[in-house]
Amino acid sequence: MNDKIIKISGRIDSENAASAEQRILEQLAGAGDVVVSLDASDLVYISSAGLRVILRLKKAYPKLKITNVNAEIYDIFDMTGFTEMMTVEKAYRVVSVEGCDVIGEGFNGKVYRIDKDNVVKTYKNADALAEIQHEREVAKLALILGVPTAISYDVVRVGDSYGSVFELLNARSFAKILAKEPDKFEWCVTEYVKMLKKIHSITVPEGRLPKIKDKTLKKISRMKDTLPDGLGDKLYGMVQAIPDTDHMVHGDFHTKNIVLAGDEVLVIDMDTLSTGHPIFDLYLMYNAYVGFYEFDHDAVLSFQGFDYDTSVRFWKACLSAYLGTKDEKKISETEDKIHCLSYAYMIDRDRRYNGVSANEDSHVGIFTAKLIDVLGRIDSLDFELSEIPKEAEKELETDAITDNLDVVTDFVNAHLDAAGCSLKTRSQIDLAVEEIFINIANYAYAPNTGKAVVRVDLKKDPDAVAITFSDRGIPYDPLKKPDPDVALAAEEREIGGLGIFLTKKVMDEVAYEYKNGQNILTMTKKL
Amino acid sequence: MLPIKIDLHIHTNVSDGTDKPEELLSKVRDAGFDVFSVTDHDAVKAGAVIRAGLKDGDPRFIQGAEFSCQDGDGRYHILGYGFDPDGEAIKNVIELGHSYRMKKTAERIDFITREFGFEFDKSEIDAILALDNPGKPHIAKLMQKHGYAGSIREAISKYINGIRFTEEYVRPEQAIEGILKSGGIPVLAHPFYGGGDDLILADDMEKRLIRLIGAGLRGIEAFYSGFSVKLRNEALGLAKKHDLLVTAGSDYHGENKNIKLGDTNLAEYGKMPEGMKRFFEILDIGL
Repeated sequence: MNDKIIKISGRIDSENAASAEQRILEQLAGAGDVVVSLDASDLVYISSAGLRVILRLKKAYPKLKITNVNAEIYDIFDMTGFTEMMTVEKAYRVVSVEGCDVIGEGFNGKVYRIDKDNVVKTYKNADALAEIQHEREVAKLALILGVPTAISYDVVRVGDSYGSVFELLNARSFAKILAKEPDKFEWCVTEYVKMLKKIHSITVPEGRLPKIKDKTLKKISRMKDTLPDGLGDKLYGMVQAIPDTDHMVHGDFHTKNIVLAGDEVLVIDMDTLSTGHPIFDLYLMYNAYVGFYEFDHDAVLSFQGFDYDTSVRFWKACLSAYLGTKDEKKISETEDKIHCLSYAYMIDRDRRYNGVSANEDSHVGIFTAKLIDVLGRIDSLDFELSEIPKEAEKELETDAITDNLDVVTDFVNAHLDAAGCSLKTRSQIDLAVEEIFINIANYAYAPNTGKAVVRVDLKKDPDAVAITFSDRGIPYDPLKKPDPDVALAAEEREIGGLGIFLTKKVMDEVAYEYKNGQNILTMTKKL
Repeated sequence: MLPIKIDLHIHTNVSDGTDKPEELLSKVRDAGFDVFSVTDHDAVKAGAVIRAGLKDGDPRFIQGAEFSCQDGDGRYHILGYGFDPDGEAIKNVIELGHSYRMKKTAERIDFITREFGFEFDKSEIDAILALDNPGKPHIAKLMQKHGYAGSIREAISKYINGIRFTEEYVRPEQAIEGILKSGGIPVLAHPFYGGGDDLILADDMEKRLIRLIGAGLRGIEAFYSGFSVKLRNEALGLAKKHDLLVTAGSDYHGENKNIKLGDTNLAEYGKMPEGMKRFFEILDIGL
């Protein structure tokens, strides 16, 4: 079914509602069963006479929708209940990226800095809006689960497509840092690997993210028959045998997607976020630093901004740091496993994009030879995961502002739910979390703002939870505040102090210390 | 679906509708209405014609009218039902409205000829002043005819609206009082839409309603062709909260507006709210 798009413009009020309606109906004459889409880009005012026109149209064309509605008119539609009756799409702010610095570029679009504090990520695809929506949801989930990331706060129109706007103060990608400040190489490796481990340590609630193994199996199944002697089936079987885990993988973890914003390291570009074994991230990283550029060393310079030698060196250093070993033998064993997937990926990619036949001199031929060689030595793609600490997911660092209370309680509740905490206990704990977090948000940094870290530790035998809040605000021990006299009527009581009193009541233990410039409040409760 | 067909807000050519009262009667008869009311603007003449034409088995008819009112807070349409059309008080309200209207029309014409130098034939002006209910559109049409303005909208907004009146309007309290004194039920028409083209929402709506209830208002038109489900529900909520009667009307104008007779959204609601049952009980209409 086609959309019949009709422009409505100017003012629609009692003076011209009848003629506007007639004009619309004339354009719809003989249109049959269509989705009528009223384009309100140029509509500046609608009165109740105009609303009645739309209501009648809606009765005649139940699939009526209104698009590009400005904010004021959207409010009218919203308050009068029209947004509940039909699709009303807001107009997107138009942003021009002409002359703006390109600070990132990926397969699907570019990232431009539009002013000092904001960047816009543009999308090439036709269904950009759906993609933006998806990425927003995934980024939100990631943030709740503890991945520091930027969440877009607005969707805008950029040329013929759409973009999402992020606030990124002074952000520089790791690619830029590596290119411009070679002395920061070690620091980049350390922070990069720390972030990768953090992501890999996070458990994702079932069904929230796709399984990255499925995507890889699709690639393998497309190219496996080009391998001789049943090696294709062997590879496919090995990928299938990689243990499924509910841990997070990023899916595109390269130095352009890791940024330093202020003094905070953030991961961006969350649309590939999935769950699965770390090997999937590692092989995609290998491709991003080595695989794609094996036959075109200069290309890495134009994509990442640093040279091929730096790229290979960075990959090696990161793998060693990730595996926590300098033992060459151990590293090369793991690298062999990574190569199995990397080469298969390169073969599939070249065959699909370049249609290259597998003669010996072609890239596909060389990758095929390498793959055959490594497949002869490898029987399993799994490797020991015990090196990866499970620490990171226990902590959430967030801006101590009241708006983030939901993020904090969601984070705490995710842990409590995982521990099988009862609803009653959970709501008591939520109450305490709210009191403490709002306290920090309101007072710790006033009149400025700062960060708060929330940490959740679950204990076994007996089941208990310890929740720790730390901030770098003014030293303040809330426990010193005397308990309010609850025997007095509310209006006779001293103001304040009730929150911490409630916290002490619902939790089993609450302790405070000031250490290393931090307020640290720990509260525990049996589950 | 509700098996009862009701439309309590209908205009004939006695005001700005296009159906003659007798045509309207045959339409509601053919469409199988149970109850209807004709509510011409500031006029009651259709009632006598319809009552004379009613036969056994016809839909029940309720005498009605819709009064245009205004005060410093905005515009209002007050519906009156079941009053005595020959009552002194209702006649006074109609006469008051008519005299204001004639005065404003004469002053508007005077204003545009004086201020902008537009010239009209005396016979043209007399024709307008001889109308039952002359208004801005009549003057605007005449201006358009003379080429003084390109459109009705331009004529009104650029020239005619150059003179404003603050006092020469019937106040909602006056209309409510006239309806009550003639034995009728005053009801606020299309509450959120004020004088027909306004938008009065949330607290503003409730404040306005409380003020009118203080003046004697007894009901609101919660079912209206131009209301969304949300507005209808809000109106029903207000009716319940303030113990008001509830009516249902389309605002049918014949060919002049694209509104179907009987389109009140009551059928979709599927039942008759308490306030509407009481409205019919008071008027002694068993359904």
